[in-house]
Amino acid sequence: MIPISDFILRLGWWLLLAPLLPGIINKVKAWVAGRRGPPVLQLYHDLAKLWRKGVVLSTLASPGFVIAPAVAWAALAGAALLTPLGPLGGCLSFRGDVLLLIYLLALARFCTAWAAMETGSAFEGMGAAREVSYAVLTEAAIIAAVLSLSVQTSSVTLVTMLSPSAGAGAALLAAGLFTVLLAENCRVPFDDPNTHLELTMIHEAMILDHSGPPLAAILHGASLKLLLFSVLLVQAVLPMGQLSPPAAAGALAAGVLIVTVGVGLVESLLARLAFRRVPLLLTTAFLLCVFALLVAWKEGAK
Amino acid sequence: MTTGWLLLMAGAALGLSLVAGARWARAWLALTVTGAAAGLGAALSVLLGGGDWEWRNDFPPGGEPLHLRLDGLSAVFLALVAIVGAAGAGYAREYWSERRYPASAPRGRIWWSVLLLSMGLVLTASNGLHFLMAWEIFALAGYFLITLDNQRSGVRTAGWLYLAASHAGTMVLFAFFAALAARTGGWDLGPVRDQANLAPLFWLALFGFGVKAGFFPLHIWLPSAHANAPSHVSAIMSGVAIKLGVYGILRFSGWLPVPAAAGWVVTGLGAASALLGITFALAQNDFKRLLAYCSVENIGIILIGTGAALLAVTHGGALWGRLALAGALLHVWNHGAFKSLLFFGAGSVLHATGTREMSRLGGLWRAMPWTAGLFAFGSIAVAGLPPLNGFVSEWLVYLGLFDAVTGKGASAWAAAVIPAAILLAAAGAMAVAAFVKAGAMIFLGAPRTPSAEHAHECGPRMLGPMLALAGVCVAIGLAPVLFWPAVTRAVTAWRPAWAAADTTAPLAALGAVQVTLALLFVAAVVILNYTISADQRRRGPTWDCGHALPTARMQYTSASFAAIPAGWFHWILLPERKTRKPRGLFPADSLRLERVPETVLERVIGPLGAAIMLASATVLRLQHGRLQFYILYVLAGLVALGFLVLLGGAP
Repeated sequence: MIPISDFILRLGWWLLLAPLLPGIINKVKAWVAGRRGPPVLQLYHDLAKLWRKGVVLSTLASPGFVIAPAVAWAALAGAALLTPLGPLGGCLSFRGDVLLLIYLLALARFCTAWAAMETGSAFEGMGAAREVSYAVLTEAAIIAAVLSLSVQTSSVTLVTMLSPSAGAGAALLAAGLFTVLLAENCRVPFDDPNTHLELTMIHEAMILDHSGPPLAAILHGASLKLLLFSVLLVQAVLPMGQLSPPAAAGALAAGVLIVTVGVGLVESLLARLAFRRVPLLLTTAFLLCVFALLVAWKEGAK
Repeated sequence: MTTGWLLLMAGAALGLSLVAGARWARAWLALTVTGAAAGLGAALSVLLGGGDWEWRNDFPPGGEPLHLRLDGLSAVFLALVAIVGAAGAGYAREYWSERRYPASAPRGRIWWSVLLLSMGLVLTASNGLHFLMAWEIFALAGYFLITLDNQRSGVRTAGWLYLAASHAGTMVLFAFFAALAARTGGWDLGPVRDQANLAPLFWLALFGFGVKAGFFPLHIWLPSAHANAPSHVSAIMSGVAIKLGVYGILRFSGWLPVPAAAGWVVTGLGAASALLGITFALAQNDFKRLLAYCSVENIGIILIGTGAALLAVTHGGALWGRLALAGALLHVWNHGAFKSLLFFGAGSVLHATGTREMSRLGGLWRAMPWTAGLFAFGSIAVAGLPPLNGFVSEWLVYLGLFDAVTGKGASAWAAAVIPAAILLAAAGAMAVAAFVKAGAMIFLGAPRTPSAEHAHECGPRMLGPMLALAGVCVAIGLAPVLFWPAVTRAVTAWRPAWAAADTTAPLAALGAVQVTLALLFVAAVVILNYTISADQRRRGPTWDCGHALPTARMQYTSASFAAIPAGWFHWILLPERKTRKPRGLFPADSLRLERVPETVLERVIGPLGAAIMLASATVLRLQHGRLQFYILYVLAGLVALGFLVLLGGAP
């Protein structure tokens, strides 16, 4: 049914390319700050090093401490496989696959939070509680965005849904989804991946006690999620349907690069928000997606 | 005719188990399981192609001829009764054993059989009078099962509340069936879809059955009853009994015409139940109350699907209506399976530690690894995460909702469907939070009290039913296409006019992808565990940012985990706080207690009841037994009447 080679090839590309994005973001940040910064391929080196290391497990941790990061990693890889790649289309495509994608992200979140709670550390509890709480708002925003695309294209299949029309709706959707991307991937202004104060972190606080290969799986999964969101954002906003396949592939790659640079610029120019402000910004993102939905609905009525 | 014989066999076996339950526990179990298996067989024979089964007999108990019927819709619910009924009977053998509860164990067995029999009767009765009788026996059996442990005052209060709420619902059902009988000219039940003057009766049915289904705000009895009942009873009450409320709503919205607003109201109630139910669940500290509130959420999901189907009936959308209702019906099975699994898990924890407070537990995975694993499994299913069954039914409901708005232009019903889809997503994310919290507080981290430290794993007789239910969760999750014919048959029974609508839910594709994903998960787990072979694992204390002496009391608690969303919903949770702040240079003690009340019960029904009692007490003061005052009343009445006649003139 599904050509196995296509499946494996795609998985390989996703896994291979994902760690590039955090490297680019760091380079942009260094460039804005006038530093030289770490090499773009730094995360590859870090992952290789972690993969070879042994692990230290908390005395309190159950086998779930290793199982959960593995399942989260595989869930993100599965979500990536569901994502169509411009002219290449999707490899596991069926009607309603977009909902499976959203719930796979939720499964990854469940597993990361579960692994964080394994150690009995209050910091990790704090991080997990924030992660699962803010996700309520981002999940609502994502469904609103998906509904707007769905209303626009009369489809619930990712391959056909991601051919939006340009217009006010696309701009609203871009703003909303970019904010969701920042929140879901724990970037500034929601979370600071470089902070050194555990009390103010979300994602980094959850993985304080992880080490070795499980940590590598978590870090790689995080970069995979960032790539996944960028690819989805670009395809949800750019009307690439009319372009020739090579041009569409080029546009997709350029779009992902622009999103990545954008994340880097946001991170250089903004400070992290106070936690009590986070729900406000997320609600704004949700409302942007709802407005995009209303625009799509209005256009559908004509 | 096999269906009839199987039902007869089920009835006979359960009837015999009534007798056996008093003395012979093993025979009771064998008979109950046989009866349940026969019931399941009957349900399956109807669902998998055999025709509807109908039986009439003029033998008149109560003056009405007997009329039993098993069609696609009731068969779905009968299958659930059979599966959870058998699993719970097996579980109870160890959980509520003769040795631990010599006084109440036989009573529990007998009422269990009565409950199963009465539920079967409710599902097959096709005569209004007999339906009401069966409904009443079913409610009473539930009451006696909830109050098995009647030595504790909390249990008795919960039982009374259940009984009162249940009868409030039954009273409305009396009105419903009486009005129905008056307008149709007989107690016999059946499809009368063309009699438009029956439509307003839907509201009576919605309220009467809604109390049993426990959607918001009629759920007031549910949290305390499910939390205080023995866990196998909580499992069948939560997994099956409340579904009979859903059955009632579906049965009579299918047989009778529905008012135009029905779809709007049911969708709205469903969305409200889903979000508020899971909000209350997240704020609980008692894990059985958490599970109980989570049932309110799941009833909400079922009602969203039902409401969308009702909208489809009103607005003529057979394609999406079928999908949404199929999702709702599949969720009836799914919720029955995973919620019973979770309540059984909760029962094992209660059995091992004797407390329902999550703040007194922690670290139980070490003592009870099987229960911990199965609870985690059930948590993934109940949070609606792939690749398990909860996801499949939520996916179908979503698909119905999406199909209702895509490509339809500006449709009126979109104003109900779009908010419902968004609230369903938010409720799904809250469910993830609630079940990370429940699993983590009970099973992970360090034990917070000595009782949690000295817990023990439950025996194979309690684990067996849990494993069986987990198997159901996996089967529906990985091979949903096998269950599709049964569900569509029920949808067709609900609305025969839709039989022609060709809905192709791509369940085969979904199943294939779910299997692929499951394989991917297994592969990832194996790879990661392989890379850290035993010699590369070191154990050390939790790092905790270099804290040298972490204690169990420093762990994040259940209230702190839920603090952020609980803050958003402060307006309805209305938590009661008791705080004693640390004072002075060397503070001796400090305290912070928090309790989330059942808002509807304690802030609305409670004050209302108190006001009625106060008014009654005031009026009662007029009646004191002193004759001279009574004569004065009569005189005053006469004078008042006289004035009325004088002022108002002749009538």
